[in-house]
Amino acid sequence: MSETSAEQRRLNLMIALSATRHRLTREQIRDRVEGYDAVPAGATAQERQRADASFQRMFERDKDELRRMGIPLRTITDPTHQNDLGYRIDGDMAMPELDLSLQDAAVLALAVEYWSGRSMAADARQGYAKLISSVAHGQGPRLPYGGMSTTVGVEATATLSEAITERQSVRFEYASASSDTRVRTVQPWTIVMRAGLEYLVGWDVDAEDSRVFRLGRILGTVRLVGEPEAFERPATVSLGSLADEAEVSTAVVAVRPEAGHAVRRRGRPAGARDGWELFEVDYRHADVLRSEVLSMNGAARIVSPESLATSVIEHARAALEVARG
Amino acid sequence: MAETSRDRLVRMLGMVAYLESHGATPVAVLAEHFGVSQAKVTQELWTLGMSGVPPYLPDEYLDFDFDALDEGLAVLRDAQGVTQVRLSGQEAVALTGALATLIAAGTAPEGAVDLLERIRVAFGGAAPVTVLPGGDTVDPALRDTLAGAITRGHAVRADYVDAQDHRTERVIEPHRLVAIDGIGYVECWCRKAQGYRTLRLSRFADAEELADAATQPASAEHGFSLEPQYNATVTMRRSARWAFEDIAGVAVEDDGDSATATFGVSDTGWAAARLLTVAPHLLRVEPVTLREELARHAGAVIAAQGD
Repeated sequence: MSETSAEQRRLNLMIALSATRHRLTREQIRDRVEGYDAVPAGATAQERQRADASFQRMFERDKDELRRMGIPLRTITDPTHQNDLGYRIDGDMAMPELDLSLQDAAVLALAVEYWSGRSMAADARQGYAKLISSVAHGQGPRLPYGGMSTTVGVEATATLSEAITERQSVRFEYASASSDTRVRTVQPWTIVMRAGLEYLVGWDVDAEDSRVFRLGRILGTVRLVGEPEAFERPATVSLGSLADEAEVSTAVVAVRPEAGHAVRRRGRPAGARDGWELFEVDYRHADVLRSEVLSMNGAARIVSPESLATSVIEHARAALEVARG
Repeated sequence: MAETSRDRLVRMLGMVAYLESHGATPVAVLAEHFGVSQAKVTQELWTLGMSGVPPYLPDEYLDFDFDALDEGLAVLRDAQGVTQVRLSGQEAVALTGALATLIAAGTAPEGAVDLLERIRVAFGGAAPVTVLPGGDTVDPALRDTLAGAITRGHAVRADYVDAQDHRTERVIEPHRLVAIDGIGYVECWCRKAQGYRTLRLSRFADAEELADAATQPASAEHGFSLEPQYNATVTMRRSARWAFEDIAGVAVEDDGDSATATFGVSDTGWAAARLLTVAPHLLRVEPVTLREELARHAGAVIAAQGD
């Protein structure tokens, strides 16, 4: 049966695990499901060992692939023989009837385009293919809209959304804006996106508290640790500092006349002084506001708080130093 | 983009779902709907027909009318309960995250809000992503004006604040509303500049649709694809590595204490501004063009902040 394609073998595995009443053990799967090679008759111990190893590898990969497709493939432990693992697909895995129109499909295609070239592209493409499966065929409208992501949808986004769905812990190195860089172990709850910034909200195992992480500040790779279904996600996830208005501070930013329109639009006028126009601006992350002022090439300055003003000067001085070589 | 085994399995399940909803369907229609050749559709329907429930008794396979299939018509007789599967967590994050981002940026087409809600409900309301509106507020009336002008092929008189912070009145021919990193823009032909431009929606002070018909076709190049002019090499303390990881096409080498990022620069001013934001962690910046721009920016900031 070695000519069976991977997708056919996985389809057979999916059908077999949905049809079973109780569960199927690995051995039963190997014997019964089409696409897996049975142990060859008259094999030597060495051949048998090699065939066993290859089956295990193949099965692990198939199991992961089905889970990655969103299929609720559960591991069932026999109550009397704890080491005897079995598998079953539990619950309703069918795509609900959504009754999508061709216009809906065209809108969804924009969501796929948004991730083009990012690590979420394959997931967006497959989700789209699933959703449009039952849409009656026809010529959809060409919509004069588009989008792309260059900062969100990083490698971490894909790994974290998998971990959130599987309820599996993650470990990553994190450069905090307020404390030092160190490795965090987190039970991930939800991803939050806001205007080009992406966050993870979850339980920081070492700090024993819920925390908000900026995905852009993760160094290197996010690793899955431990087993799936390792924790319960709270029924309502508090977005912590992201939603907490108390975490919002106010700065006074001075901008040159006819300049700093982004600041003007979201700020509240606070008078004028020495050729500068003043605005009160609310901010959540001091480093984001600092970056904004630093990027305005001298057309803006921080009036208060003092700490933010000092930090702007320090950054500019450090830049001069490195620029002089 | 290389097709994966998962793409093929999703498509095969999709064909079963399509046939369940719409009954007998010409192979040619399936091929168009799923974007593959007719030969591929026929082959995959045969593969489906050879799959079933162990121990694979004759009536335990997915069943098609294979005589009709030979004539180019797909007829499903028994799906054995197989159909398309619901969205995975990652798929839900990708699709609902992007839709909600387009909506928050003010660049979502009609029906997007309703579609997002239906997908969320279908996923059990538990898609592990939340999209919060950004600071870049876009007046819904502006979006409607631009969308209407695009549909009718009309020009728009715009009161716009440009990147150099000059407020100008100009006539544009809008082509497409786009969201880039959660920020809304309009791709257009600018009659004043006689060129294609990508204008930020939050910088519009006012816009008015004219009766005047658009004269220029949409650019084949999207306004946001910029050509790099040179490569920059920046060495920083490791803790600032994150600030470089999201730059398109960047390569980062990490030696434990420090990291070196190499990336293409299309806009020297943008790159200098990015470097300023992590300046205390920088160790070395190449080439000299970028160092000079960095010094200019830093000097301007000190002059402003210091007085």
